[in-house]
Amino acid sequence: MKKQLVHAIPIMAILFAFSSCNQGKNENSTDGPRIDTVVTGTVTAELTDPPMVPKQLEYTSPKKVMVELEVIEKVMRIADSTEYTFWTFGGKVPGKFIRVREGDLVDFTLKNMPDSKLPHNIDLHAVTGPGGGAAATMVAPGQSARFQFRALNPGLFVYHCATGPVGMHIANGMYGLILVEPQSGMSKVDKEYYLMQGDFYTKGKFGTPGLQEFDMEKAIKEEADYVLFNGKVNANAGPNALKAKTGEKVRLFVGNGGPNLTSSFHVIGEIFDRVYVESGSLMNKNVQTTVVPPGGSSIVEMKMEVPGTYHIVDHAIFRTFHKGALAQIKVEGPENPNVFLKIKN
Amino acid sequence: MKIILTILSLIICTGFAAGQTSSHSNKKLLKIKKGTYISFFKIGNNQSITVASFYMDEYAVTNEEFLEFVKTNPHWSRSKVNRLFADANYLIHWESDYVIGEAHKAIYKSPVVYVSWFAAKAYCDWKGKRLPTIAEWEMAGKASPRNKIKMPLTEYILEWYRRPNPTVLPNVKSTYCNVYGLYDMHGLVWEWTFNFNSFLSKGDSRASEDDEKKSFCAAASINVNDREDYAAFLRFSYRGSLKGNFCISNLGFRCVKNSE
Repeated sequence: MKKQLVHAIPIMAILFAFSSCNQGKNENSTDGPRIDTVVTGTVTAELTDPPMVPKQLEYTSPKKVMVELEVIEKVMRIADSTEYTFWTFGGKVPGKFIRVREGDLVDFTLKNMPDSKLPHNIDLHAVTGPGGGAAATMVAPGQSARFQFRALNPGLFVYHCATGPVGMHIANGMYGLILVEPQSGMSKVDKEYYLMQGDFYTKGKFGTPGLQEFDMEKAIKEEADYVLFNGKVNANAGPNALKAKTGEKVRLFVGNGGPNLTSSFHVIGEIFDRVYVESGSLMNKNVQTTVVPPGGSSIVEMKMEVPGTYHIVDHAIFRTFHKGALAQIKVEGPENPNVFLKIKN
Repeated sequence: MKIILTILSLIICTGFAAGQTSSHSNKKLLKIKKGTYISFFKIGNNQSITVASFYMDEYAVTNEEFLEFVKTNPHWSRSKVNRLFADANYLIHWESDYVIGEAHKAIYKSPVVYVSWFAAKAYCDWKGKRLPTIAEWEMAGKASPRNKIKMPLTEYILEWYRRPNPTVLPNVKSTYCNVYGLYDMHGLVWEWTFNFNSFLSKGDSRASEDDEKKSFCAAASINVNDREDYAAFLRFSYRGSLKGNFCISNLGFRCVKNSE
């Protein structure tokens, strides 16, 4: 719980004067929800596959939010002619995007499909409580588990599987993002997208055709064959590029599942107008490249002034050219020569 | 040795297993000699466990074999079983209480799955046997393959763990045989052990957060003896996710018997 101590001091003084036995609770009454806030009504969370993000929330008082995620182990393409056995939260890598609001009471169910080979669980970094929910959600194939948590801190949080061996579960794609909107809501933008980076370790080198197995040795040595946005080479490039129009404000929710590599997140030809540093409450402006560590995230915003195709990269640039770390935003609309003009000789 | 085994199986069949057909009476029990099992999770200072010699079923209990048990013990049939002892998935892959079904002919000799710990234990009791302990199972399971597998055993196991379940579960004895003569210790189904959820200490580890956290995340990385034995790690986390009444699509069992 964040504390605006400066604001809280006069209130605390009054509280201490009248009720000295209730400290620690009411000091936050000017900032953030009380942990015992009564929720009014129940909603079912909209869950989306990458690169889509659920609609901005319209309710303004804490709700009970029902979330159900399914663990699905399945073979999918990691590159056009290469397959991999992914372990997923909801059938895609990264997993479903979850959007709740600060103060919400989240009623969370994790279901492990009957066809799964292994047990799984979930540790949501948005949870205040033991293991982020991991111990409460350990589920064998065909079973489900349920727990409830209060979304106390606003921010964009990574969730991941925390079943041993954790590294292997994460390396196979078991991560996603949960956004806890602040009580005051988020500013309106024109487009919101979901991108999550992950590194993958396969027996065969990058692009080797056929079904590729996870390579434990390479994972331990941190020698990734693939570094990807949204789980597949070109998942959001070429015909699947993200889209925007000139003049539009775009917000990217960027996560990094890892397991190993920190992202130097950069959009070629754009400057982030605003960066929510590490997705926390600190706002930075005019940033070229922002760091997104494994198990961490960032929210970046930019206004797209000039039409064209913008490359989203990990600026540890060999990852982009040799390991797949590339996504694109296609911006359409009229040229803007006041901002950018190619001069003909 | 053969004579002893034959006598043993005769005792089992005549003494404890009334009503059983003769085709199942000659299931081989193989002797696993006394040995040491290094516990996967660190237990205080004492990490190696001496395991007395015992006899183990040559292969996992099949659907056909389990059907005999259910026929003889109707309270273990799908419709009559006590839900405390088997969840709603119990024998869900059979046609009805006492019929595996024509449509499922391919699985008669496949390991029986969708059976709870209680059902597995009852079956072994009925056979005059018991479920193996984790130490017994792990000691028997780590024995080297003597056919079919060319890669290191750990890699073979990991490869199997990664593969999604097959649509039709293959027959018993369809994977490798190890030096004890045991079939399919890895590569076919997971198997129940007697003390599946007590590897972390207390009787009901599921009730204690302190026990559970040892198999999660960071805590787990410091409490295991061989942190690169990812195959064992997966097996232990699988066991840790179980409750006695769970019936799962890839979980079967085999029985053991004391050697005395």
